Amino acid sequence: MSALFPKHTNTLARVSLAIGALIPVAAIGGLMLYVRTPGGYGTGHPAEQPVQFDHRHHVKDLGLDCRYCHTSVEQSATAGIPPTQLCMGCHAQVWNKSPLLDPVRNWYFTDRPIPWKRIHNLPDFVYFNHSIHVNKGVGCASCHGRVDEMASVEQVATLTMGWCLDCHRDPSKFIRPKEEVTNLAWVAKGEPAELGLELMKKYDVHTRTSCSTCHR
Amino acid sequence: MSTRDLNLGVEVHTVKSDEGYKLPVISNAEPAPARRQWRSIQERNADPALADKAKDEFPPGAGVFSAIDRRGFLQLLGGTAAIAGAAACWRPPEENIYPYTRAPENIPGVPQHYASTVTFRGFGQGVVVESYDGRPIKIEGNELHPGTRGTTSVFEQAQLYKLYDPNRARQLRHKNRPQAWRQFLAEVNALMQRHAQDGGAKLRFLVQPTTSPTVASLRAQVRARFPNAKFYAWQPVSEENARLGAAAAFGQPVDTHYDLKNATIIFSLDSDFLTWDPDRLKLTRQFADRRVPEAEGGMNRLYVAEANLTVTGMNADHRLRVKPSQVQEVARALAAALAGAGLTDLGQFGGGTSLDEKAKKFIQAAAQDLAAHRGRSLVLAGLRQPPAVHALAHAINAALGNMGQTVSYAAAVTPEIDDGIASIKRLADELKGGQIDTLVIDAWNPAFNAPADLDFAALLKSVPNTLYWHYYVDETANACNWLAPAAHELESWGDARSFDGTASLVQPLIAPLFNGIPLVSFWAAFTPMAEKSAYELVREFWQGRGVDDATWRKYLAEGIIPNTAEAPITPTLDMAGVSRALQAATPASEGLELNIIPDYRIYDGSFGNIAWLQELPDPVTKVTWENVAQVSPATAKKLGVEAVEHGTVSWVKLTVRDRTVEAPVYVAPGHADDVITVSLGHGRKDTEEALASRHGFDAYALRFTDAPWFQGGLKLEDTGRPYELAITQDHWTMEGVTGEPRDMALMTTLGGLEQFKEVEIRRNRSTLRPDEVMQEPYKYEAGAVNGGDATLQPTGYKWGMGIDLSRCIACNACVIACQAENNIPIVGKDQVIRAREMHWIMIDRYFIGELDEPEVAPQPRTCQHCETAPCEYVCPVNATVHSDEGLNDMVYNRCVGTRYCSNNCPYKVRRFNYLHWNYGKTATEKMMMNPEVTVRARGVMEKCTYCVQRIERVRIQTRIEGRPIKDGDIVTACQQACPAQAITFGNLNDTNSKVAKAHADERRYDLLYDLGTRPRTGYLTRIKNPNPVLASATQTPAHGAEHH
Repeated sequence: MSALFPKHTNTLARVSLAIGALIPVAAIGGLMLYVRTPGGYGTGHPAEQPVQFDHRHHVKDLGLDCRYCHTSVEQSATAGIPPTQLCMGCHAQVWNKSPLLDPVRNWYFTDRPIPWKRIHNLPDFVYFNHSIHVNKGVGCASCHGRVDEMASVEQVATLTMGWCLDCHRDPSKFIRPKEEVTNLAWVAKGEPAELGLELMKKYDVHTRTSCSTCHR
Repeated sequence: MSTRDLNLGVEVHTVKSDEGYKLPVISNAEPAPARRQWRSIQERNADPALADKAKDEFPPGAGVFSAIDRRGFLQLLGGTAAIAGAAACWRPPEENIYPYTRAPENIPGVPQHYASTVTFRGFGQGVVVESYDGRPIKIEGNELHPGTRGTTSVFEQAQLYKLYDPNRARQLRHKNRPQAWRQFLAEVNALMQRHAQDGGAKLRFLVQPTTSPTVASLRAQVRARFPNAKFYAWQPVSEENARLGAAAAFGQPVDTHYDLKNATIIFSLDSDFLTWDPDRLKLTRQFADRRVPEAEGGMNRLYVAEANLTVTGMNADHRLRVKPSQVQEVARALAAALAGAGLTDLGQFGGGTSLDEKAKKFIQAAAQDLAAHRGRSLVLAGLRQPPAVHALAHAINAALGNMGQTVSYAAAVTPEIDDGIASIKRLADELKGGQIDTLVIDAWNPAFNAPADLDFAALLKSVPNTLYWHYYVDETANACNWLAPAAHELESWGDARSFDGTASLVQPLIAPLFNGIPLVSFWAAFTPMAEKSAYELVREFWQGRGVDDATWRKYLAEGIIPNTAEAPITPTLDMAGVSRALQAATPASEGLELNIIPDYRIYDGSFGNIAWLQELPDPVTKVTWENVAQVSPATAKKLGVEAVEHGTVSWVKLTVRDRTVEAPVYVAPGHADDVITVSLGHGRKDTEEALASRHGFDAYALRFTDAPWFQGGLKLEDTGRPYELAITQDHWTMEGVTGEPRDMALMTTLGGLEQFKEVEIRRNRSTLRPDEVMQEPYKYEAGAVNGGDATLQPTGYKWGMGIDLSRCIACNACVIACQAENNIPIVGKDQVIRAREMHWIMIDRYFIGELDEPEVAPQPRTCQHCETAPCEYVCPVNATVHSDEGLNDMVYNRCVGTRYCSNNCPYKVRRFNYLHWNYGKTATEKMMMNPEVTVRARGVMEKCTYCVQRIERVRIQTRIEGRPIKDGDIVTACQQACPAQAITFGNLNDTNSKVAKAHADERRYDLLYDLGTRPRTGYLTRIKNPNPVLASATQTPAHGAEHH
C-alpha cells in the first residue's frame, strides 16, 4: 500500500507546527510591543472635547497662569478643573455672543457640568498628589508638556510607573525654582542636575520609592 | 534558607509537618511555658478536631470555590483569559471629567471636618465628621465634647453605615400610597384641627426620649395645643429602674453620675457600665486610666457580681457568678458585711443569707476593701436590676462617703424620664379601651419591641389614625397608616444634650439622600410652625436663648454649647425609703432562669441593619450575625445541650409562661449556672431591613411587663437538631506556628509584676540579633548612610505601634473604626463560617483558668509590621514589600493571589478576597467608601497598613509646610476610636513620642518573640490588681513545661 501522504507533506507539517508555535509568541510579543507604542501609552491622541477650548490662546497669547483656572493645584491632590462659573467670569464680558461658547452658556444656565474628556488618567490604585509636587519644584510642563502650544490637550508623557520612578529615583534633573513651576517655557540655564541638586537641598526634596508612596 | 546558614546562639529544631516539608524554627534557649490561655472550650480540651483544622494552610472551606467544579472553572478561566487579553489590547475606555458649574466653598480633594452630634439612647455624642467632596466618610469623637472625649464606640461609628444604608425608608406614604410632604402636612393639619376641638382627648403620642431642647420645646407647644392629649415615652432599654431607685432613696428621680477618676475600689452589681452606662465613653476612659501600674492614685480594683460574662466582667479583678435575681441578695449581703466593717447604718438592710460560702467570702473581702477606701470607692447598680438594688447602692455609697467624691447626682436631662415598661403598659391599656383616634409614634418600633404580653402590633392596628416617623419600613411602619421617612442625623439640623447636660448642635453634612424628614420638622408638623425649615426651628430656638450669629457659628464649629451642663444636686438619703424599696422587692427565683440583655452589637435591635455590626464578633461570645442562648458549661452538661462540635451547637426550644422561641445554645465559660442568657433585637420578620431579618431569634417574645429582664420558670427542650453558628473565636489561630503552646496575651498581677518582668517579659522580647533571624533583614538606606546598623533604621520616621493590654476592655470600637476607614467589606454568615471575614484588626478573647470561672485577657491583633517579615520573602510578585520607614506595604495591583504570604504569616493577620465582596454595591454604599484607600477586588490579599493613607496625608501636609511630623500628627483609625486609649502610634526614633515610651515600658513584649520577626507593634502586659485575700487565676503559675 502506498503512503497515504506523499513525502512533502512532512515539510508542510513541520512548517505548520512552527507557525503554530509562533502564533502565540507573535501574539504575546506583539501585545508587549504594542503597549510600548504611543497607542499603548495613550500619548499623542488629542481627544475631541465638547468645547473647543484652546490653551494656546489662553496661556500663550493672554498669559493666564495655570493656577488661574486650576486653582487647587497647590493645596489638593487634584489640580482642579475650573467650574463653568469661572469661564463665565470672563466670557460674560468678552466673546459673550460667540457661537463657540453657546454650549458653555447653555451648561452654565442649566446648571449642568461640562462633560470634558479626561486626558491624563492614572489607574485607580495610584494616589498622585499635585500639591506636593508643585510645592517641591516640579513644573507643570514636566508631566503635561507644552500645554501652551496645544490646540487641544494631549498626553505627552507615558505616565507609566517606570516614567514616575525616573524622577522619584533622581529628581535632580526635573526640579526647578518654585517661582518657575507654572512657566511652561522654562529651561534650566546650564546643567539641569546641578541646579536640581541645589534646589533639592533648598526645598528638602527626598527620593521616595516605597510602594506606599503612591499605592494605598 | 536552610538551618546551615543560620549563625545561631539559640536552639534550632525542625518541625515535621504532615506534608513532609521542613520549617526551620528558632527558639530561645528558655522554653516557653505550656499554654494556659484558651479561646474556646474545644481549644482548652485540646480537641484533636480543632488541632487538625489549625494545621492546614487555610481554614477548612476557606479555599473552596463552591459554586463551580474544577473543570468548569478551567473552562471559564480560558474564556476570561482570552477576553481579558483582548480587552487589554486597546487604550483604557474614555472617561469624562465633570467640573462644578458653580464652585463650592471647599477645595476639591481636600477633606473637611465638621463638628456635629449623633445620639445614642437619646444622649448627644459629640462627633467630628470627615467630609470628602461633600460626602461624609468617617465619624470620629469630638475632643471638646464631654460625652465622647475624642473617642467613639461601635455605635457612633455605625452611624455612617446607617446614613448610606440601602434599606432606608425612601418614601412618605399613607396606607401604602406615596404621599408628598405638603400633602402630609395638609392632612395632619386637618386631623389636628379636629383633635383640637376636644383638646386632643383622643390623641396620643408615643415618643422616643430625647434630650433635644428644640424638640422638647416643640413637644411643649403640642402639649399646650392639646391639653387633653397624653404623651408616653418608650425605649426597650430604659433607665427606668435607676430612676425609680433614686426616687426611693432620695425622693426624687435624679440621674446618677459616676466619676471613676478617684474610685480605687469599684463594685458592680450587675452593672455593665463600660458598655451601657449613659456616660460609658467617659467611664471607660477613666477606668482605663487607672488600669496601669503607674496610674495616679494607683491601680483600681473592680469587683463584679453578674450572671452572664459582660465586657465589664471581662475586665474585673474578681467576678462572682450569680443569678440575676440573686444580685439583690448580693447587695444586701454587701450591706451586712459593710455594717460589720463599721458602717453600722447599713445594718438594717442586711440579708443575703441564702448565698453560698464562696459568694460570702467574695462579698466579705470586697466589703473590707470598700470600707478601707471610704470616699474613694464606688458601688454601681445595673440598669436591669430592680429599683431596690439601685436604692441600696445609693445607701451604700452614702455610707461609704462616696457622695460628692465618686458619685454625684443631677436632674435628668431627658424630659421624658418615665420611658419604660410602665409607660407603654399604660398606653396599651388606653388603646385596649378603644377610645383613641390618633396615635403619633416616633419611638423605635413598638410593634416589635413592646413586651410580649401587650400584643402591641394588634393594638396599633385597632387605632384609626397612626402616624409613624422612622428610618426603616419596619414592623411598626407596616402596622401604621402613615410612615414619614426619617432623615439621618448627618442630614438634619437639630440639637441634643449629653448625659451631663452639655448641649451641642446636630449639623447636617449632606442633604437628605432619600427625602428624609428631620425630627424637628416632624414635630413642627403638629404646631403652627410646620412651614419652617429644620434650620430655622433650631436657629430660632437658640436665638431665643440669646445666641447671636457669631456665637452660633462658634458653637457649630466647636461642637458644644458651653455652660449647659446640669448642675449637680445633693439629695438627702431617705433610709426608710430604701427599706421600703427592699421590702417591695421580689425574692430570688427558683429553677432555670431567663436572663435578657441588650445586644453588644445591635443594642436593642435598632442597629440591626448595620452590616458592620452584624458581622462584628460579639466581644464575649465571638458569635457573628445572630444571637445565642448562653448557658454555663455545667448547666449545659446537666441539660444535655453541650456543643456537638466546634461551631455546631444544639437547637433548643425556650419556653417561659406561654411563650416559646427556638434558639441555638452557646456554652459560655464564666456564665452563672441555671441561667440562660439571650440578647435582644435579633430575629426580625416583618421589616424591609434585609440584614436584620436574616438570622437570629426574637428575645422580645420572652419579655413581659412584670419581668422585663429576668424571671424563673424557664423550660428548655432540646430539639435534637444541630445548628451551625458563625463563631470567630477559633479563627486565625497562632497555635501550631511554633509547635509549642504558649500564652499570647501576657497577663500578671500588680504584685507579681517584678518577678514576671524578670522571667516572662524578658523572654518575650525579641532579643535576637539581626544575624539570628530566618531571613535577610531589610537594609535601610538611612542606616547605611549614617554608618549605624542598617537593619534597625536608626534615622528617619520609624513607625511603630503600642497596644496596652491593661487598658484594652475589648469593646470592639477599633474593629469598626478600621472597617470604616479602610473600606473593609462584609462577607455574610456563610462566609464567616469559612473563616473568610475581612477585619484587619481582630480582638482575641483569651480565657485563663477554669472553665466555670475563667479570667479574661483580650488582645487586639493586627499586622505587626515585622522588620523581617515572613510574608515579604515568599511573595513571588513582590506585592508585599518593606517600605523605607519600616511599613510592610501591600501593593494590591501587583497581587496575584497566591496566598503564600498569608500562609507564611505567623500572626495570621492577612485577609484574602475570596470573592468580589464589593460587587453590586448600591450608589449610596459607594458614597461611603474612603477615596484615599483602594477598594480591593477579588483575588487580592489585604491587611492592616498602619493607616498608610493617614501617614501620607500628614506627610504631604507637613512637607508643604516645611516642618517635621510631630508626635500626635498621625493618628490611626483604631487609635482614634479607642475609648480606653490603649493604642499608641508614632515614630519610634523619637524617644519622646508616646509610642517610643510604650516600647520602652517595662511591660512591653513582642508577640511570638522567638520567630525572629521583630515586630514593630509592641504589646504591654495586662496587669490585674486582685485582692490578696481572694484567689485569682492570674496568680496561679503556669503549669510547667511538661509538654516538652
